[in-house]
Amino acid sequence: MGPNQYTKTPLPGPTVIADTELVQACRGGDVVAWRSLYDRYAPLVHRFASALGVPAEEREDAVQDIFIAVFRSLKHFRGEAQLSTWIYRIAARHAIRLGRRRRARETMRVTMMKEKTPIVTDPSERSTQLATLDRMLGKLPPKKRTVLVLFEIEGLSAKEISDVVGCPENTVWSRLHHARSEMVKAARRMAS
Amino acid sequence: MKWLDEPQDEAERLVREGLDLAKHRLGDELMHRRVWAKVAEAVEMPEPRSKRRWVWTSAAATLLAAAGLFAYVRFYRVTSLPTPTVATNPTPSTAPLPGTSASTAIGSGTEVVPLESERAPGHVIRTREGERVRVALGGGATAELEEKSSMTWDSQHRPAIEKGIAHLAVPHQPPGWRFSVTAGPYVVTVVGTKFEVHVSNRTVGVDVTEGVVEVWRNSHATRLAAGESWDGPLYPDEAASASSEAAASASSAAPERPQPLPATAKPLSSVTARSLQEAETALQAGDAAKAVEILSRTAQGTGPAAENAAYELGHITRYNLNRPRQAVALWDKYRNRFPNGLLRTETDLSIVETL
Repeated sequence: MGPNQYTKTPLPGPTVIADTELVQACRGGDVVAWRSLYDRYAPLVHRFASALGVPAEEREDAVQDIFIAVFRSLKHFRGEAQLSTWIYRIAARHAIRLGRRRRARETMRVTMMKEKTPIVTDPSERSTQLATLDRMLGKLPPKKRTVLVLFEIEGLSAKEISDVVGCPENTVWSRLHHARSEMVKAARRMAS
Repeated sequence: MKWLDEPQDEAERLVREGLDLAKHRLGDELMHRRVWAKVAEAVEMPEPRSKRRWVWTSAAATLLAAAGLFAYVRFYRVTSLPTPTVATNPTPSTAPLPGTSASTAIGSGTEVVPLESERAPGHVIRTREGERVRVALGGGATAELEEKSSMTWDSQHRPAIEKGIAHLAVPHQPPGWRFSVTAGPYVVTVVGTKFEVHVSNRTVGVDVTEGVVEVWRNSHATRLAAGESWDGPLYPDEAASASSEAAASASSAAPERPQPLPATAKPLSSVTARSLQEAETALQAGDAAKAVEILSRTAQGTGPAAENAAYELGHITRYNLNRPRQAVALWDKYRNRFPNGLLRTETDLSIVETL
Protein backbone atom coordinates (compact mmCIF):
# COMPACT_ATOMS: atom_id res chain seq x y z
CA MET A 1 0.00 0.00 0.00
CA GLY A 2 1.73 3.18 -1.22
CA PRO A 3 1.52 6.55 0.38
CA ASN A 4 -0.84 7.90 -2.28
CA GLN A 5 -3.48 5.38 -1.35
CA TYR A 6 -4.00 7.01 2.04
CA THR A 7 -6.85 9.40 2.31
CA LYS A 8 -7.51 12.00 4.94
CA THR A 9 -10.61 13.56 6.29
CA PRO A 10 -10.95 17.28 5.53
CA LEU A 11 -9.59 19.56 8.19
CA PRO A 12 -12.44 20.85 10.30
CA GLY A 13 -12.64 24.48 11.22
CA PRO A 14 -11.85 27.77 9.58
CA THR A 15 -10.05 28.68 6.42
CA VAL A 16 -6.51 29.99 6.47
CA ILE A 17 -7.68 33.53 5.72
CA ALA A 18 -10.09 33.54 8.59
CA ASP A 19 -7.37 32.30 10.90
CA THR A 20 -5.02 35.00 9.71
CA GLU A 21 -7.61 37.68 10.42
CA LEU A 22 -8.31 36.13 13.78
CA VAL A 23 -4.64 36.20 14.68
CA GLN A 24 -4.39 39.86 13.64
CA ALA A 25 -7.39 40.73 15.78
CA CYS A 26 -5.96 38.82 18.75
CA ARG A 27 -2.66 40.65 18.39
CA GLY A 28 -4.60 43.91 18.39
CA GLY A 29 -6.02 43.01 21.77
CA ASP A 30 -9.51 42.10 20.61
CA VAL A 31 -10.94 40.01 23.44
CA VAL A 32 -13.77 38.75 21.25
CA ALA A 33 -11.18 37.42 18.81
CA TRP A 34 -9.40 35.64 21.66
CA ARG A 35 -12.64 33.98 22.60
CA SER A 36 -13.37 33.05 18.96
CA LEU A 37 -9.96 31.47 18.64
CA TYR A 38 -10.53 29.51 21.82
CA ASP A 39 -13.98 28.35 20.73
CA ARG A 40 -12.61 27.29 17.37
CA TYR A 41 -9.68 25.28 18.61
CA ALA A 42 -10.52 24.17 22.15
CA PRO A 43 -12.48 21.07 20.99
CA LEU A 44 -9.63 20.06 18.70
CA VAL A 45 -7.08 20.50 21.45
CA HIS A 46 -9.26 18.51 23.81
CA ARG A 47 -9.62 15.67 21.34
CA PHE A 48 -5.92 15.70 20.52
CA ALA A 49 -4.92 15.68 24.20
CA SER A 50 -7.31 12.82 24.87
CA ALA A 51 -5.90 10.77 22.03
CA LEU A 52 -2.35 11.43 23.18
CA GLY A 53 -3.21 9.81 26.49
CA VAL A 54 -3.84 12.75 28.80
CA PRO A 55 -6.13 11.22 31.43
CA ALA A 56 -9.59 12.64 31.95
CA GLU A 57 -8.75 14.17 35.31
CA GLU A 58 -5.81 16.08 33.84
CA ARG A 59 -7.40 16.97 30.52
CA GLU A 60 -9.06 20.19 31.60
CA ASP A 61 -5.83 21.54 33.07
CA ALA A 62 -3.92 20.42 30.01
CA VAL A 63 -6.25 22.30 27.65
CA GLN A 64 -5.97 25.34 29.87
CA ASP A 65 -2.15 25.22 29.89
CA ILE A 66 -2.02 24.73 26.15
CA PHE A 67 -4.21 27.76 25.48
CA ILE A 68 -2.31 29.92 27.89
CA ALA A 69 0.85 28.97 26.00
CA VAL A 70 -0.89 29.72 22.70
CA PHE A 71 -2.06 33.16 23.82
CA ARG A 72 1.26 34.11 25.30
CA SER A 73 3.25 33.10 22.24
CA LEU A 74 0.82 34.23 19.57
CA LYS A 75 2.97 37.28 18.93
CA HIS A 76 5.69 34.91 17.74
CA PHE A 77 3.40 33.18 15.25
CA ARG A 78 4.81 34.15 11.87
CA GLY A 79 1.99 32.75 9.76
CA GLU A 80 4.31 30.46 7.76
CA ALA A 81 2.26 27.43 8.82
CA GLN A 82 -1.42 27.13 9.45
CA LEU A 83 -2.60 28.27 12.84
CA SER A 84 -4.02 24.81 13.52
CA THR A 85 -0.65 23.21 12.76
CA TRP A 86 1.04 25.62 15.13
CA ILE A 87 -1.49 24.91 17.90
CA TYR A 88 -1.12 21.16 17.37
CA ARG A 89 2.62 21.54 17.76
CA ILE A 90 2.22 23.29 21.11
CA ALA A 91 -0.37 20.75 22.23
CA ALA A 92 1.74 17.77 21.18
CA ARG A 93 4.76 19.02 23.10
CA HIS A 94 2.67 19.67 26.16
CA ALA A 95 0.92 16.31 26.03
CA ILE A 96 4.19 14.42 25.54
CA ARG A 97 5.71 16.32 28.46
CA LEU A 98 2.73 15.45 30.62
CA GLY A 99 2.97 11.81 29.56
CA ARG A 100 6.64 11.72 30.47
CA ARG A 101 5.91 13.16 33.92
CA ARG A 102 3.05 10.75 34.43
CA ARG A 103 5.19 7.76 33.54
CA ALA A 104 7.92 8.98 35.89
CA ARG A 105 5.36 9.32 38.67
CA GLU A 106 4.01 5.84 38.03
CA THR A 107 7.50 4.37 38.00
CA MET A 108 8.23 6.06 41.29
CA ARG A 109 5.03 4.81 42.80
CA VAL A 110 5.68 1.25 41.66
CA THR A 111 9.29 1.17 42.81
CA MET A 112 8.96 3.11 46.04
CA MET A 113 5.51 2.14 47.26
CA LYS A 114 5.31 -1.27 45.65
CA GLU A 115 1.86 -0.28 44.43
CA LYS A 116 0.38 -1.51 41.23
CA THR A 117 -0.43 1.21 38.72
CA PRO A 118 -4.17 1.79 38.79
CA ILE A 119 -6.01 1.65 35.52
CA VAL A 120 -7.46 5.09 35.01
CA THR A 121 -10.78 5.07 33.31
CA ASP A 122 -12.81 8.02 32.18
CA PRO A 123 -16.18 7.90 33.89
CA SER A 124 -17.64 10.18 31.25
CA GLU A 125 -16.63 7.81 28.49
CA ARG A 126 -18.75 4.79 28.70
CA SER A 127 -17.73 3.55 25.32
CA THR A 128 -15.79 0.34 25.55
CA GLN A 129 -14.29 0.98 22.15
CA LEU A 130 -12.80 4.25 23.31
CA ALA A 131 -11.32 2.65 26.40
CA THR A 132 -9.91 -0.14 24.26
CA LEU A 133 -8.51 2.35 21.77
CA ASP A 134 -6.78 4.29 24.55
CA ARG A 135 -5.20 1.10 25.84
CA MET A 136 -4.00 0.21 22.34
CA LEU A 137 -2.64 3.72 21.74
CA GLY A 138 -0.95 3.51 25.11
CA LYS A 139 1.17 0.65 23.80
CA LEU A 140 2.66 2.88 21.10
CA PRO A 141 5.79 4.97 21.57
CA PRO A 142 4.95 8.71 21.80
CA LYS A 143 6.35 9.67 18.38
CA LYS A 144 4.44 6.96 16.52
CA ARG A 145 1.34 7.62 18.56
CA THR A 146 1.44 11.33 17.73
CA VAL A 147 1.71 10.65 14.00
CA LEU A 148 -1.08 8.09 14.07
CA VAL A 149 -3.41 10.36 16.04
CA LEU A 150 -2.70 13.36 13.84
CA PHE A 151 -3.35 11.36 10.68
CA GLU A 152 -6.21 9.06 11.67
CA ILE A 153 -8.10 11.16 14.20
CA GLU A 154 -7.15 14.78 13.50
CA GLY A 155 -7.09 14.30 9.75
CA LEU A 156 -3.86 16.15 9.00
CA SER A 157 -1.86 15.51 5.84
CA ALA A 158 1.66 14.05 5.96
CA LYS A 159 3.04 17.52 5.14
CA GLU A 160 1.15 19.12 8.00
CA ILE A 161 2.20 16.35 10.37
CA SER A 162 5.81 16.85 9.34
CA ASP A 163 5.39 20.53 10.29
CA VAL A 164 3.87 19.61 13.64
CA VAL A 165 6.37 16.99 14.69
CA GLY A 166 9.35 18.53 12.92
CA CYS A 167 10.48 15.63 10.78
CA PRO A 168 10.54 14.86 7.04
CA GLU A 169 7.41 13.60 5.35
CA ASN A 170 8.99 10.21 4.65
CA THR A 171 9.60 9.76 8.34
CA VAL A 172 5.95 10.57 8.94
CA TRP A 173 4.88 7.86 6.52
CA SER A 174 7.31 5.41 8.07
CA ARG A 175 6.11 6.12 11.60
CA LEU A 176 2.51 5.88 10.48
CA HIS A 177 3.12 2.50 8.89
CA HIS A 178 4.76 1.09 12.00
CA ALA A 179 2.13 2.61 14.28
CA ARG A 180 -0.68 1.03 12.30
CA SER A 181 0.98 -2.39 12.36
CA GLU A 182 1.56 -2.20 16.08
CA MET A 183 -2.02 -1.03 16.65
CA VAL A 184 -3.47 -4.00 14.80
CA LYS A 185 -1.15 -6.42 16.59
CA ALA A 186 -2.16 -4.95 19.94
CA ALA A 187 -5.82 -5.17 18.97
CA ARG A 188 -5.45 -8.79 18.00
CA ARG A 189 -3.73 -9.59 21.28
CA MET A 190 -6.51 -7.91 23.19
CA ALA A 191 -9.23 -9.57 21.14
CA SER A 192 -7.71 -12.97 21.70
CA MET B 1 -10.96 5.36 1.46
CA LYS B 2 -9.96 5.19 5.09
CA TRP B 3 -7.57 2.78 6.72
CA LEU B 4 -9.39 -0.39 7.86
CA ASP B 5 -12.60 0.70 6.17
CA GLU B 6 -13.04 -2.92 5.31
CA PRO B 7 -11.83 -4.78 8.42
CA GLN B 8 -10.50 -8.28 7.96
CA ASP B 9 -11.14 -9.38 11.51
CA GLU B 10 -12.59 -8.35 14.85
CA ALA B 11 -9.38 -6.61 15.95
CA GLU B 12 -9.30 -4.37 12.91
CA ARG B 13 -12.97 -3.53 13.35
CA LEU B 14 -12.28 -2.62 16.97
CA VAL B 15 -9.49 -0.26 15.93
CA ARG B 16 -11.56 1.40 13.21
CA GLU B 17 -14.54 1.95 15.46
CA GLY B 18 -12.33 3.28 18.21
CA LEU B 19 -10.70 5.76 15.83
CA ASP B 20 -14.05 6.93 14.50
CA LEU B 21 -15.39 7.40 18.00
CA ALA B 22 -12.27 9.27 19.05
CA LYS B 23 -13.00 11.92 16.44
CA HIS B 24 -16.03 12.98 18.44
CA ARG B 25 -14.24 13.27 21.74
CA LEU B 26 -14.38 17.06 21.61
CA GLY B 27 -15.26 17.78 25.23
CA ASP B 28 -18.49 19.23 26.51
CA GLU B 29 -19.59 22.84 26.38
CA LEU B 30 -19.53 23.25 30.15
CA MET B 31 -15.96 22.07 30.39
CA HIS B 32 -14.87 24.50 27.65
CA ARG B 33 -16.56 27.40 29.40
CA ARG B 34 -14.82 26.47 32.61
CA VAL B 35 -11.46 26.28 30.90
CA TRP B 36 -12.03 29.61 29.12
CA ALA B 37 -12.77 31.29 32.43
CA LYS B 38 -9.45 30.05 33.79
CA VAL B 39 -7.55 30.92 30.63
CA ALA B 40 -9.00 34.44 30.47
CA GLU B 41 -8.06 34.91 34.09
CA ALA B 42 -4.56 33.56 33.69
CA VAL B 43 -3.69 35.37 30.51
CA GLU B 44 -3.38 39.07 30.97
CA MET B 45 -5.32 40.42 28.05
CA PRO B 46 -3.31 43.11 26.28
CA GLU B 47 -4.89 46.49 25.86
CA PRO B 48 -6.05 47.47 22.38
CA ARG B 49 -3.21 48.82 20.28
CA SER B 50 -4.80 52.25 19.90
CA LYS B 51 -5.04 52.61 23.65
CA ARG B 52 -1.48 51.46 24.11
CA ARG B 53 -0.34 53.98 21.52
CA TRP B 54 -2.18 56.72 23.38
CA VAL B 55 -0.46 55.69 26.60
CA TRP B 56 2.95 55.75 24.94
CA THR B 57 2.25 59.11 23.32
CA SER B 58 1.19 60.68 26.60
CA ALA B 59 4.20 59.17 28.37
CA ALA B 60 6.53 60.56 25.71
CA ALA B 61 4.86 63.98 25.93
CA THR B 62 5.22 64.01 29.70
CA LEU B 63 8.87 63.07 29.44
CA LEU B 64 9.50 65.79 26.87
CA ALA B 65 7.75 68.36 29.02
CA ALA B 66 9.78 67.31 32.06
CA ALA B 67 13.01 67.46 30.06
CA GLY B 68 12.07 70.89 28.72
CA LEU B 69 11.29 72.18 32.18
CA PHE B 70 14.51 70.78 33.54
CA ALA B 71 16.52 72.32 30.70
CA TYR B 72 14.77 75.67 31.17
CA VAL B 73 15.44 75.76 34.89
CA ARG B 74 18.97 74.51 34.49
CA PHE B 75 20.09 76.75 31.62
CA TYR B 76 18.10 79.76 32.71
CA ARG B 77 20.07 79.79 35.90
CA VAL B 78 23.35 79.18 34.18
CA THR B 79 22.90 81.97 31.67
CA SER B 80 21.34 84.51 33.97
CA LEU B 81 23.90 84.17 36.73
CA PRO B 82 27.67 84.25 36.57
CA THR B 83 29.78 81.29 37.51
CA PRO B 84 28.90 80.47 41.10
CA THR B 85 31.49 80.93 43.76
CA VAL B 86 31.07 80.48 47.41
CA ALA B 87 30.70 83.56 49.57
CA THR B 88 30.15 86.02 46.77
CA ASN B 89 26.94 87.67 45.67
CA PRO B 90 24.92 86.99 42.59
CA THR B 91 25.46 89.72 40.06
CA PRO B 92 22.59 92.19 40.10
CA SER B 93 20.56 91.73 37.00
CA THR B 94 20.21 95.36 36.09
CA ALA B 95 22.30 98.04 34.42
CA PRO B 96 23.91 100.99 36.19
CA LEU B 97 21.84 104.02 36.75
CA PRO B 98 22.29 106.68 34.10
CA GLY B 99 25.28 108.78 34.86
CA THR B 100 26.62 106.51 37.55
CA SER B 101 28.34 108.86 39.88
CA ALA B 102 29.60 108.75 43.37
CA SER B 103 26.13 108.66 44.77
CA THR B 104 22.45 108.53 43.91
CA ALA B 105 19.88 110.60 45.69
CA ILE B 106 16.57 108.94 46.32
CA GLY B 107 13.21 110.60 46.34
CA SER B 108 10.92 110.49 49.31
CA GLY B 109 8.75 107.49 50.08
CA THR B 110 9.40 103.78 49.62
CA GLU B 111 10.18 102.87 46.06
CA VAL B 112 12.01 100.24 44.11
CA VAL B 113 15.24 101.44 42.66
CA PRO B 114 15.74 99.73 39.34
CA LEU B 115 19.22 98.44 38.78
CA GLU B 116 20.05 97.74 35.19
CA SER B 117 23.46 96.19 35.48
CA GLU B 118 26.15 95.40 37.92
CA ARG B 119 26.66 98.05 40.52
CA ALA B 120 30.00 99.73 40.23
CA PRO B 121 32.10 99.57 43.38
CA GLY B 122 31.85 102.83 45.20
CA HIS B 123 28.39 103.70 43.96
CA VAL B 124 26.35 104.98 46.88
CA ILE B 125 22.63 105.09 47.54
CA ARG B 126 21.61 107.52 50.25
CA THR B 127 18.26 108.26 51.85
CA ARG B 128 17.41 111.58 53.44
CA GLU B 129 15.17 112.23 56.41
CA GLY B 130 11.71 110.77 55.90
CA GLU B 131 12.84 108.68 52.90
CA ARG B 132 12.75 104.93 52.56
CA VAL B 133 13.92 102.99 49.58
CA ARG B 134 13.93 99.40 48.49
CA VAL B 135 16.95 98.31 46.47
CA ALA B 136 17.05 95.26 44.28
CA LEU B 137 20.32 93.49 44.92
CA GLY B 138 20.18 90.68 42.40
CA GLY B 139 19.54 87.04 43.06
CA GLY B 140 16.07 88.07 44.20
CA ALA B 141 17.43 89.79 47.32
CA THR B 142 16.16 93.20 48.34
CA ALA B 143 17.34 95.72 50.87
CA GLU B 144 15.02 98.29 52.31
CA LEU B 145 16.95 101.31 53.45
CA GLU B 146 15.41 103.35 56.20
CA GLU B 147 15.79 107.13 56.40
CA LYS B 148 19.23 108.66 56.76
CA SER B 149 20.90 105.45 55.56
CA SER B 150 23.47 104.82 52.92
CA MET B 151 24.52 101.79 51.00
CA THR B 152 27.32 101.14 48.57
CA TRP B 153 29.06 98.24 46.79
CA ASP B 154 32.50 97.08 47.73
CA SER B 155 35.31 95.97 45.46
CA GLN B 156 33.83 92.46 45.30
CA HIS B 157 30.47 93.91 44.24
CA ARG B 158 28.95 93.05 47.58
CA PRO B 159 26.42 95.48 48.94
CA ALA B 160 27.81 97.33 51.94
CA ILE B 161 25.70 99.10 54.53
CA GLU B 162 27.61 102.24 55.36
CA LYS B 163 25.17 103.91 57.68
CA GLY B 164 21.66 103.60 58.97
CA ILE B 165 19.35 100.62 58.89
CA ALA B 166 18.78 98.16 56.06
CA HIS B 167 16.18 95.42 56.16
CA LEU B 168 17.32 92.62 53.90
CA ALA B 169 15.23 89.86 52.46
CA VAL B 170 17.19 87.13 50.73
CA PRO B 171 15.33 84.29 49.06
CA HIS B 172 16.86 80.85 49.07
CA GLN B 173 19.85 81.21 46.80
CA PRO B 174 20.48 79.14 43.69
CA PRO B 175 22.75 76.13 44.12
CA GLY B 176 26.30 77.26 44.77
CA TRP B 177 25.41 80.76 45.88
CA ARG B 178 25.87 82.53 49.15
CA PHE B 179 24.62 86.05 49.65
CA SER B 180 26.92 88.41 51.50
CA VAL B 181 26.49 91.95 52.69
CA THR B 182 29.18 93.92 54.47
CA ALA B 183 28.77 96.31 57.34
CA GLY B 184 31.95 98.01 58.44
CA PRO B 185 34.57 95.31 58.96
CA TYR B 186 31.96 92.54 59.15
CA VAL B 187 30.63 90.32 56.41
CA VAL B 188 27.17 88.86 56.90
CA THR B 189 26.78 85.67 54.90
CA VAL B 190 23.44 83.98 54.29
CA VAL B 191 21.85 81.38 52.13
CA GLY B 192 18.27 82.53 52.38
CA THR B 193 16.79 84.60 55.15
CA LYS B 194 15.39 87.91 56.38
CA PHE B 195 17.50 90.07 58.58
CA GLU B 196 18.30 93.63 59.44
CA VAL B 197 21.66 95.34 59.46
CA HIS B 198 22.04 98.65 61.25
CA VAL B 199 25.18 100.71 61.29
CA SER B 200 25.54 103.63 63.63
CA ASN B 201 28.54 105.87 64.20
CA ARG B 202 30.04 103.37 66.56
CA THR B 203 28.31 100.03 66.21
CA VAL B 204 27.11 97.49 63.72
CA GLY B 205 24.10 95.33 64.57
CA VAL B 206 22.36 92.37 62.94
CA ASP B 207 18.85 91.19 63.83
CA VAL B 208 17.77 87.92 62.22
CA THR B 209 14.08 87.44 61.45
CA GLU B 210 14.24 84.19 59.51
CA GLY B 211 16.91 81.63 58.65
CA VAL B 212 20.52 81.62 59.69
CA VAL B 213 23.25 84.16 59.08
CA GLU B 214 26.92 84.25 59.87
CA VAL B 215 28.74 87.43 60.78
CA TRP B 216 32.37 87.26 59.81
CA ARG B 217 35.32 89.43 60.68
CA ASN B 218 38.61 88.20 59.36
CA SER B 219 38.66 84.59 60.49
CA HIS B 220 36.20 85.02 63.35
CA ALA B 221 32.57 84.21 62.85
CA THR B 222 29.37 84.33 64.81
CA ARG B 223 26.34 82.41 63.74
CA LEU B 224 22.88 83.79 64.40
CA ALA B 225 19.61 81.95 64.14
CA ALA B 226 16.15 83.44 63.71
CA GLY B 227 15.22 85.76 66.55
CA GLU B 228 18.81 86.36 67.58
CA SER B 229 20.64 89.67 67.51
CA TRP B 230 24.24 90.63 67.48
CA ASP B 231 26.07 93.92 67.53
CA GLY B 232 29.69 94.87 67.57
CA PRO B 233 31.83 97.98 67.37
CA LEU B 234 32.17 99.68 64.02
CA TYR B 235 35.88 100.13 64.71
CA PRO B 236 36.90 97.07 66.72
CA ASP B 237 40.55 98.01 67.01
CA GLU B 238 39.74 101.42 68.43
CA ALA B 239 37.11 99.83 70.62
CA ALA B 240 39.63 97.40 72.03
CA SER B 241 42.03 100.13 73.05
CA ALA B 242 39.20 102.29 74.30
CA SER B 243 37.84 99.49 76.39
CA SER B 244 41.18 99.03 78.10
CA GLU B 245 41.23 102.73 78.83
CA ALA B 246 37.67 102.51 80.03
CA ALA B 247 38.58 99.79 82.38
CA ALA B 248 41.03 102.15 83.96
CA SER B 249 39.10 105.36 83.94
CA ALA B 250 35.51 104.23 83.34
CA SER B 251 35.27 107.06 80.90
CA SER B 252 32.62 107.27 78.20
CA ALA B 253 35.13 106.97 75.38
CA ALA B 254 34.54 103.24 75.10
CA PRO B 255 32.10 101.86 72.52
CA GLU B 256 28.58 101.34 73.65
CA ARG B 257 28.98 97.54 73.57
CA PRO B 258 32.46 96.19 72.87
CA GLN B 259 31.71 93.20 70.61
CA PRO B 260 29.34 91.35 72.88
CA LEU B 261 28.02 88.04 71.65
CA PRO B 262 24.40 87.21 72.31
CA ALA B 263 23.78 84.46 74.80
CA THR B 264 22.23 82.22 72.20
CA ALA B 265 24.79 82.86 69.50
CA LYS B 266 27.42 80.18 69.03
CA PRO B 267 30.90 81.50 68.39
CA LEU B 268 33.23 79.47 66.27
CA SER B 269 36.71 78.92 67.57
CA SER B 270 39.45 80.68 65.68
CA VAL B 271 41.07 77.36 64.75
CA THR B 272 37.82 76.08 63.31
CA ALA B 273 37.11 79.34 61.57
CA ARG B 274 40.59 79.17 60.09
CA SER B 275 39.88 75.65 58.85
CA LEU B 276 36.69 76.80 57.22
CA GLN B 277 38.54 79.74 55.73
CA GLU B 278 41.21 77.39 54.38
CA ALA B 279 38.53 75.17 52.90
CA GLU B 280 36.94 78.16 51.26
CA THR B 281 40.28 79.34 49.90
CA ALA B 282 40.99 75.88 48.51
CA LEU B 283 37.57 75.85 46.92
CA GLN B 284 38.08 79.22 45.33
CA ALA B 285 41.39 77.97 43.99
CA GLY B 286 39.51 75.10 42.40
CA ASP B 287 40.89 72.47 44.75
CA ALA B 288 37.62 70.92 45.87
CA ALA B 289 39.34 67.74 47.03
CA LYS B 290 41.46 69.67 49.50
CA ALA B 291 38.41 71.56 50.72
CA VAL B 292 36.63 68.26 51.27
CA GLU B 293 39.62 66.92 53.15
CA ILE B 294 39.72 69.92 55.47
CA LEU B 295 35.97 69.89 56.01
CA SER B 296 35.90 66.15 56.64
CA ARG B 297 38.46 66.62 59.36
CA THR B 298 36.49 69.46 60.88
CA ALA B 299 33.21 67.59 60.61
CA GLN B 300 34.59 64.80 62.77
CA GLY B 301 34.64 67.16 65.71
CA THR B 302 31.71 68.47 67.67
CA GLY B 303 29.80 71.69 68.02
CA PRO B 304 28.85 74.28 65.47
CA ALA B 305 32.12 73.93 63.55
CA ALA B 306 31.47 70.26 62.89
CA GLU B 307 27.91 71.07 62.00
CA ASN B 308 28.93 73.75 59.55
CA ALA B 309 31.57 71.52 58.00
CA ALA B 310 29.12 68.63 57.73
CA TYR B 311 26.72 70.81 55.79
CA GLU B 312 29.44 72.32 53.61
CA LEU B 313 30.71 68.84 52.72
CA GLY B 314 27.38 68.06 51.10
CA HIS B 315 27.38 71.44 49.40
CA ILE B 316 30.79 71.00 47.84
CA THR B 317 30.10 67.41 46.87
CA ARG B 318 26.94 68.51 45.11
CA TYR B 319 28.03 71.69 43.37
CA ASN B 320 31.78 71.37 42.98
CA LEU B 321 32.30 67.65 42.64
CA ASN B 322 28.93 67.21 40.93
CA ARG B 323 28.00 64.07 42.85
CA PRO B 324 24.35 64.64 43.78
CA ARG B 325 23.72 61.16 45.17
CA GLN B 326 26.72 61.35 47.47
CA ALA B 327 25.77 64.88 48.48
CA VAL B 328 22.30 63.80 49.52
CA ALA B 329 23.87 61.01 51.57
CA LEU B 330 26.14 63.54 53.29
CA TRP B 331 23.24 65.88 54.00
CA ASP B 332 21.28 62.94 55.36
CA LYS B 333 24.20 62.23 57.61
CA TYR B 334 24.10 65.84 58.74
CA ARG B 335 20.38 65.55 59.50
CA ASN B 336 20.92 62.43 61.55
CA ARG B 337 23.79 63.99 63.49
CA PHE B 338 22.20 67.39 63.97
CA PRO B 339 18.44 66.85 63.91
CA ASN B 340 17.90 70.31 65.42
CA GLY B 341 20.89 71.94 63.75
CA LEU B 342 20.82 75.56 62.72
CA LEU B 343 21.40 74.57 59.11
CA ARG B 344 18.69 71.94 59.18
CA THR B 345 16.31 73.97 57.01
CA GLU B 346 19.04 74.71 54.51
CA THR B 347 19.93 71.05 54.42
CA ASP B 348 16.34 70.03 53.78
CA LEU B 349 16.04 72.58 51.01
CA SER B 350 19.32 71.49 49.47
CA ILE B 351 18.17 67.86 49.48
CA VAL B 352 14.86 68.79 47.88
CA GLU B 353 16.64 70.86 45.24
CA THR B 354 19.07 68.06 44.48
CA LEU B 355 16.38 65.43 44.27
